[in-house]
Amino acid sequence: MIKKIFTIVVVLFFALTTYSQNKLPKNHSLSNLTCKTCHSCDVPTKKNPCLIACPRAEMVTINQSPEQAPEVEILKELSNRYMPVVFSHKMHAQMSQMSGGCETCHHYNTIGPIQPCINCHETSRKREDISKPDLEAAYHRQCINCHREWSHSNDCTSCHALKNKNESISISSYVKKITGKSHPALVEPKKVVYETNYNKGKIVTFFHNEHVNLFGAKCIDCHKDENCTKCHDKTKTTFAQQKASDMPIKIRKSKEEHHKPCFSCHQDDKCNLCHKDKSMSPFNHAVTTGWALNKFHENLICEKCHGSSSKFVKLNNDCNNCHKDFAAGKFDHKVSGLKLSENHKDLDCIECHKEKNFAKAPTCENCHDDKSFPKDKPGTEVNVSLKKKR
Amino acid sequence: MEKQNRRSFLKTTALIGAAATGISTKSASAKPKNILSEDRMGVLVDTTVCIGCRNCEWACKTAHNIPTEDQIKYEDRSVFKQMRRPEPNAFTVVNEYPNPQNSALPTDVKIQCMHCDHPACVSACIVGAISKEENGSVIWDTKKCIGCRYCMVACPFQIPSFDYNKPMNPEIRKCDFCIERTKKGLLPACVKNCPVEALTYGPRNELIKEARERIKRYPDKYFNHIYGETEAGGTSWMYLANQDFSKLAFPSPGDKPMPGASESIQHGIFAYFVPPAFLYALLGGIMWITKKRNEPE
Ligand code: SF4
Ligand code: SF4
Ligand code: SF4
Repeated sequence: MIKKIFTIVVVLFFALTTYSQNKLPKNHSLSNLTCKTCHSCDVPTKKNPCLIACPRAEMVTINQSPEQAPEVEILKELSNRYMPVVFSHKMHAQMSQMSGGCETCHHYNTIGPIQPCINCHETSRKREDISKPDLEAAYHRQCINCHREWSHSNDCTSCHALKNKNESISISSYVKKITGKSHPALVEPKKVVYETNYNKGKIVTFFHNEHVNLFGAKCIDCHKDENCTKCHDKTKTTFAQQKASDMPIKIRKSKEEHHKPCFSCHQDDKCNLCHKDKSMSPFNHAVTTGWALNKFHENLICEKCHGSSSKFVKLNNDCNNCHKDFAAGKFDHKVSGLKLSENHKDLDCIECHKEKNFAKAPTCENCHDDKSFPKDKPGTEVNVSLKKKR
Repeated sequence: MEKQNRRSFLKTTALIGAAATGISTKSASAKPKNILSEDRMGVLVDTTVCIGCRNCEWACKTAHNIPTEDQIKYEDRSVFKQMRRPEPNAFTVVNEYPNPQNSALPTDVKIQCMHCDHPACVSACIVGAISKEENGSVIWDTKKCIGCRYCMVACPFQIPSFDYNKPMNPEIRKCDFCIERTKKGLLPACVKNCPVEALTYGPRNELIKEARERIKRYPDKYFNHIYGETEAGGTSWMYLANQDFSKLAFPSPGDKPMPGASESIQHGIFAYFVPPAFLYALLGGIMWITKKRNEPE
C-alpha cells in the first residue's frame, strides 16, 4: 500500500514539474526572482508584460532530462547558401550532462517556458541592439568551438549540406537517421594510472569502478565541466582506448585543475593516500582496515555502513554499530548458514564468539571440553541464498 | 619606346609633384570631413570569438571585384603557417597565434585598415588622395594618388599597400570600410559574412561600451584592454583579445595621434627647401630601379 502511494506521489511530482516547464506558474510573482529580472516596467500587465530581452547575467536552471526535451530540431531560419541544419537535440543534451547541462545553450530562461534562441537573438545582423550576437552568430558560437576542437577545422559541411534541389528528401532522411538514437552509453574505465610530477609518489592509481560502484560517487560529482574533446578528438586516441591499456597517462592539466574533482571528498587526506611509487591494487577492506568483509558485507556499498559518501565515518567491528537488534534470543542465526539447535538458541553471542570477534572462528570451550568448531557444530547447516543488497 | 614611356612617366610624376607643392601644406593640415562626429561607425573585432574561417577575406575580395578562388577553398588552414599582411589584392587577412587558454583553439586575428580617428595617412598624403569620411571610413581616391607612398610610411599599422604591377597607374590600396556598401545601407562585406559575428558593426561609442561590458562580465576570458580605443589617438576598428596584444603582433603606436610625426617630416623637408620635385624624381628613380630588378628577363 505504502509503495502504491509513493508511486502516485512520484508520478504526480514529475507530471507537475514537466507541466510547469511549459506554463508560467500561477504565483510566479512570489518566486525568488525580482520582477526586474524579467520585466522592464514597474507594473507589467497581461497585455503589456514588458519582458526584457535576455539578460545573460541572470539564469534560471532548467530541470528536465534530455529525454524530456525534443529529440530533433530543424534549424531553418537562416538557410540560404546551405540547407537547414538537422540538429540532434537529444544526443547533444545527453552529452551536455557531463558539462554545463541544458544551460550551456539555453543560457537564459525565465521560470516560464523554455526559450528557443530566436526569441532573443535577432535574425538580422544590421540592428540596433549590438549587445548580443545575431541568430546566426548565436547558433555558430554554440556549436563551432566544440566541433572545431575535435575536428581541428571549420568544416561547414559537417553540419550544413550545400543547398540542393531535393531539399525536402534529404532533410527527412537526415531526420530519420537520428530519430530514436541516443548517445551511446559511456564506456566507464575500470582504473586509470596517472604519472604525476610529485616527487614523493609519482604514480596515482584511480579506480573509477570503485568510486562509482562502492564509494557511491555520482558522475556529476567529478564530471562537471567536461569538454567534448575528452572523448571526441579525431586526431587523438580515444579516452576508452587510452584507458584500456595500463600505460600511465601523463598529467597535462595544472595541479589545481587535476586535484579539483578529488578534493571535494579527499581534501583532508594525506598526499600519500593516492601518490605512490607504483600502481595500487584495488581497494581491499581487509588490507586497508584490517577487517575482512564476509559474504554478507562484501556486496554492500560503503554508504550502507559508513554514512554519506562525501564523509565516511570510521566504525569499530562491533556488530551492534549497525545491527542494533543483534541481541541474545533476537538474532536469527539461520541467516549465517547454521541453524542453532534448541539448547544453543538462547545463548549470548559471546559464549561462542569470543570478544564478539565474528571474524575469528567460534569456540566451544566455554561449555564443552571435548568439542571444537568446525568439526562439531551447535546446530544444522542450512542453505542461504544471498540476495545482492546494494 | 619602353624607355621613352618611363622617362615621360618620371617627368609627369615630377610635374604633379611640383604642382602638388602648392597644396601640400594645406592638405597636410586639412581637417578630415566631420572628424570625430559622435555617431561615426566602427567595428569591434572579438578575437576570442573568431574561428579563423576566412570568410571575411573571401567576402572582402568578392565585394571589391578582386578575383578569388571558391569559398570552400578558404577552409584550408595551412595558410596560417605564414604571417600575412594586407596586399593590394587582399585588403584584409587573418593570421593565427597560439592561445594560452586552450591549445586546441588557436587565436585568429583579422587585420585591415584601422580607420584611425586621426589618420596619419590622410595627413601624410600631399595631394589629398586619402580622406576621413563622416561615417568613420578612411578612403582613398585613385585618381588623385600619385604613388608617392608617403601614406605607407606614415601609417602606424603598415596598412596601405602599393600595387607594383601598374607603374603607369600607381595605386595605393587598402580596406575602404566598404564605403560603397555602407552608403547603400548595407553592412561591410566582412561583417555580413562572418559566421560567428566576431566583427560587430555599430557606432564607435556603443562598441566601446559593449567591449567594456564583455570584459566586465568575463574577466577571466578577456585581457583588460580595448585595442584601438586610444591607440594612435583612437581608431574605428577596435579589438578584444584574451592575451596581451603585443603577443598577437599588434604594434604599440602610443596614444597620441600619429599625424604629428608625419607632418613634422614633411614640414621639415619644406623648411630646408628641399624641392619636392627633386624628392619625387628620387622616389621615381628608386621605383624604376626596383621595377627593373624585379622584371623577368
Ligand atoms: S590604419 Fe593606416 S591606413 Fe588606415 S586610417 Fe590609420 S593611418 Fe590610415
Ligand atoms: S570593411 Fe570592407 S574593405 Fe574593409 S576589410 Fe571589411 S570587407 Fe574588406
Ligand atoms: S569571417 Fe569572422 S570568424 Fe571568420 S575569420 Fe573572419 S572574422 Fe574570423
